[in-house]
Amino acid sequence: MLKKHNILVVEDELELAKSTISSLSENGFSPFHAKDLKSARKLLKQEKFAAVLLDLGLPDGDGISLIKEIKNTKIEIGLIIVSAKDALEKKVQGLELGADDYLTKPFFFSELNARLKSVIRRLNLEDNQQLTINEITLFPEEMRTLIHGKIVELTGKEFGLLLYFFSNPNRVISKTTLGEFMSSSYADYGFTDDVVYTHIKNLKKKITNSGGNDYIKNVYGVGYKFTIA
Amino acid sequence: MKLLTKTSLNFISASVIFFLLGSVAMYFSVRNIIAEDLKSQLLQQQNKFIYNANQNKLTDLTSKLVFIQITDNEIGYSFSDTVLIVNDSYILYRKLQFSYLQDEQYYQVSILQNQSQSDLLIKKIVIMNVGFAMLFFLIMFFVNRQSIKSALSVFYSTIRKLEDFELSKAQNLSLETADVQEIKKLNEVFEKMATQIYNDFEAQKEYTENVSHELQTPLAIISSKADELMQADNLSKEQMEQLALLLETTNRLSKINQALIFLTKIDNRFYTQGSSFSLNDLIKEKLQIFDVAIQEKELKLELDLLDITQVYMNPYLAETLIINLIKNAIIHNTSGGVLCIQLSNNTLSISNNGSPLSFPEKDIFKRFVRSENSKKNLGIGLSIVQRICELYTFNITYTYDCEHQFKIIFKK
Repeated sequence: MLKKHNILVVEDELELAKSTISSLSENGFSPFHAKDLKSARKLLKQEKFAAVLLDLGLPDGDGISLIKEIKNTKIEIGLIIVSAKDALEKKVQGLELGADDYLTKPFFFSELNARLKSVIRRLNLEDNQQLTINEITLFPEEMRTLIHGKIVELTGKEFGLLLYFFSNPNRVISKTTLGEFMSSSYADYGFTDDVVYTHIKNLKKKITNSGGNDYIKNVYGVGYKFTIA
Repeated sequence: MKLLTKTSLNFISASVIFFLLGSVAMYFSVRNIIAEDLKSQLLQQQNKFIYNANQNKLTDLTSKLVFIQITDNEIGYSFSDTVLIVNDSYILYRKLQFSYLQDEQYYQVSILQNQSQSDLLIKKIVIMNVGFAMLFFLIMFFVNRQSIKSALSVFYSTIRKLEDFELSKAQNLSLETADVQEIKKLNEVFEKMATQIYNDFEAQKEYTENVSHELQTPLAIISSKADELMQADNLSKEQMEQLALLLETTNRLSKINQALIFLTKIDNRFYTQGSSFSLNDLIKEKLQIFDVAIQEKELKLELDLLDITQVYMNPYLAETLIINLIKNAIIHNTSGGVLCIQLSNNTLSISNNGSPLSFPEKDIFKRFVRSENSKKNLGIGLSIVQRICELYTFNITYTYDCEHQFKIIFKK
């Protein structure tokens, strides 16, 4: 990644904020932390942010009020609500007010990375709409994949999986996390391990058959890692 | 029976009974009065006769209504009815009979008084009375009915408003003001109750949200720390496995928490807003989530969506219902088995070839009940399905006959 995106993490749980911040910086972001609405407002004036991760239940008020303020400014800032409240109405309300996405706690950092990158990508349409890692190039809008310049036919789920790995390079992603991602949080336990295994097996095969490197490594049978040297 | 019909019927039956009893009583009392009157008239005539008899010869005193006969011995005076035939018609008379002594000879004297006039009078009086009474009852009946109707109009409007009462919408019943004390009181009680119910509902909502928040946040911290640790380079296989297990268990715990909160929400009727949509489209759409899972298990999908079935439901609940049923049929199916989804005549049936249940059939919808070989499942999915069906009063049944079959009959 060429430029580091500034991310504002509005979160009152200190431990969660710490982990989030370290995970974000490992992933090439430049995170800032605000523990309440007041300091969030202050930071928003001082810095230019690509995205805001907003917790809703804050000590000095409901995060919902901040959504309007952020969306009213001329600058395009991605907004992801991160809340423990799974209430449907809150979700709908937040998205209606202009939030770009909604993550329910507990969430996985790889999921956060993927969503964050997707939101930033969508907001910066003038940027190059392709992602390249060595011989593999992805066009997220068109769901197109090129390996060594040649089109590779991937299913929707395989493409999503590859994009997910692209958002989380060199990161161990547990099978649980991938299962959650694959089943779009519908199918809880049961067959997710098998489904993840099948998808990854197919994806690996398609990449190597097209002459790509075998980037997706199995980590002790508990997870996968997209390894770039 | 309507309140108005009930009171009217009561009124009518009471009226008829009193009317009948009253008429009979009146008939007898009028008759009695007239009989007394006749008696006194006859006694008066007796006095007159005796006065006249002292001065005149008895035989001169006979007339059309006074008969005198010679008798041997004295008789006491007595009243009786008698009938005379005058001009070929029978006429009823009241007769006073007594003996009179003149010149040492007893005479039997009978004085008659026409009774038919008084009988006619009784008839006229009774008929008139009955007529007036009937008219009176009729007027009373309609006046009463009308006044009850108008007094109850507020009551009926209250009932209509209570029928339309919906928890998620109504804050205020805004009932009409009544001038009848009891109905006023009733409306007050209802309004108080509605407010109380609404407040409880809100409190319950807040509580489930808080529970969710308070549990999910610590889980988020555990999960984030495990995730963070997993990224270390120098982990052994064992350490990595433990961290993965930690992550998985935390995720599982969070899922159980969410599912229980979801169940509570269904029970508390959070998802009341609905819309009408085609079940066929929903099933086709949601099956796509499972295409890889179906492939993986090499299941044979038999999709038989015959009739277009429109349902009126909350979309989120409908989605959950379909997904949970399909998922259940895939997870518990044997590899290479058949997944059969049929929709016809408002009935959805989903069946699979899984091995027989390891627990009693009646426990299938109970929470946390699951078969021995699927301990990884939460065991809440089918409870949720059942609750959703209960909410919409859809009939859901489970049968096992070589294959597991769930059948839901959607209301038309």
